[in-house]
Amino acid sequence: MKQELWLLVIVSAVWAALALVYATVPALHMPGYATVWGGGAVVFLVLAVAIGAARRRGRKPD
Amino acid sequence: MNRSDFQLRLRELSAGDKRLLLVCFAAALIALALGVLFGAATGLVRARLIDLPALEGYRLMTLHGVTVFFYWLYFAQAGLLLVFSVTRAEGGDGIAWRPAAWAGVALMIAGFVLSETGAARGLPLLYDASPELTAPGTPGTASVYLGYLLLAAGLFGVAAAAVATVLAPVFAGRSASLTTVGFASLSWAGLLAVSALAAVNAFLPAARWALGMGPTPQDYSTGWHILFHNMHYLPLMATVLTWYVIVQLLTGVESIFGARFSKIVFASYLVFVPPTSLYHMFLEPNLAGSVRVAGSLLSLFISVPTVLVFLIIVASLETHARARGALGLFGWMRQLPWRNPAMSAIGMAVLTLAAGGALSFVLIQEKLAPLLSDTFFVPGYFHFLTVGTVTLTFLGALCYVLPAITGRPLWRPGLLANLSYWAAAGVTLFGAAGVAAGYLGVPRRMLDVGYEGAAPGIWALLLSAVGIGGVVMALALLVYVFGLVRSALPRASTRAAAPLPEVDLGGVALDRSRAWTGPLSILVLIGVMAIFTMLAFETMKALPLAAIGGAAH
Repeated sequence: MKQELWLLVIVSAVWAALALVYATVPALHMPGYATVWGGGAVVFLVLAVAIGAARRRGRKPD
Repeated sequence: MNRSDFQLRLRELSAGDKRLLLVCFAAALIALALGVLFGAATGLVRARLIDLPALEGYRLMTLHGVTVFFYWLYFAQAGLLLVFSVTRAEGGDGIAWRPAAWAGVALMIAGFVLSETGAARGLPLLYDASPELTAPGTPGTASVYLGYLLLAAGLFGVAAAAVATVLAPVFAGRSASLTTVGFASLSWAGLLAVSALAAVNAFLPAARWALGMGPTPQDYSTGWHILFHNMHYLPLMATVLTWYVIVQLLTGVESIFGARFSKIVFASYLVFVPPTSLYHMFLEPNLAGSVRVAGSLLSLFISVPTVLVFLIIVASLETHARARGALGLFGWMRQLPWRNPAMSAIGMAVLTLAAGGALSFVLIQEKLAPLLSDTFFVPGYFHFLTVGTVTLTFLGALCYVLPAITGRPLWRPGLLANLSYWAAAGVTLFGAAGVAAGYLGVPRRMLDVGYEGAAPGIWALLLSAVGIGGVVMALALLVYVFGLVRSALPRASTRAAAPLPEVDLGGVALDRSRAWTGPLSILVLIGVMAIFTMLAFETMKALPLAAIGGAAH
């Protein structure tokens, strides 16, 4: 589960970096791309957090 | 998980879960049948075998694109995503958040009806529905955009349910880990959710404008390109995951590289999505030169994850088959169960992916994109991928999934296995003639390319071959759909059917075996790409024409 969590964190970081590039580099200034890649970064971060939460919750004794 | 576990889990699903999956697959097959009919009719209009006013011809083309690209591919993905999530979540007990999944499928069906109505009754805008072709208040325009928005909302609901299904056993403490397919399904669901966001980004301003509630959409084409890029990737990711699952069920072979590596490869799909997207913008006149160069270089990475999954599957199969005595370079392939419709579908899907993939690398080169994007090269190459690769894979998977859900045997499996070869032959003729026609300048999205007798004679010959290939492909797909529907319906005969052919190559391959087929295939693929590229340059240089493309993907 740790591997899956980190893989999604890396994916989220790549998408966030690309969103930043699209939002700030003048030659690539495309707000639509920044919005979608930024939204994607959030989605994959949420999935990573969900995996982490599931892992913690699953370990707790009832 | 072995094949009997997979089938048992589907068979033991609750009646509510089964109903949900069957509704999803029924909508998918209806969309496919309609889309194929619209496509065949478009082909007949192009060949002047049906005489329709131009607007009605474009309506058929619009309906074909909307129905197949947006609805068949996404109903099928929604259903398969739920199937893989529910069967591969260890310790799971059915589809979690089923109301969200039901709401998602219902929204997708409502979107389907709205999009079809808009395309059938309004101006035929083609599937990209550019606002430049219409005006606010034009009948049908808002309906098309609203349909796409409902589809996006529906995909979000299905993706949420799939994520909940994969994680539910871990939350409950019944499983401490995710299987490879569980993690890949979760990643696939994430990409579906992002694509839903991209659809909202593209279509919400257009819908507001069409309803007279907002300004003219700014930069619609950029929003479309982002969405389109994701919608390229999604069916391919779904396809290779389906191969990964079904090949294991057919042969019992698991990856020789282990689950850790497979998870990294499936995650790499997500890593490569954003950086490889720039090539869609090559036809935009304002794109900076440096960005074009960067886009060209980055686009080379687009097939890396697909190639890696292909290598995992082929190397694993070859190693296990050789450990069981297979001889010769390709002798191991003879051990595969080719009479099983799922196996023949996947086999043909791999071959057509090689052809379509090699050709796609020609199109995404910065220098060739403007020359080829408005020619028949585009429908020629992408039918290899949409029909040969993705559609055949999904149909092959349904041969496994539907009988397991309904408990009814597959209708004429031998015939269905042969249909994959017929469909692949049809798409090869369609694609090869279409690509050649594109190289020779035949425009796409033009119903009459005769130019009042001034067009080169070879154009008509090539388009006739396109038409014949299209008819073969359409007939094969329609019979396939009929067979799957027939399999799912109750039948008078209750005679027990023979089980589908399968093999057991599984277990541990202890011998040191060589697995050359995968790497050799990649070398051949690179060679073919180079040949297609040189052919494109040489043929187009010889044309007595100069052309400047417009954004047309």
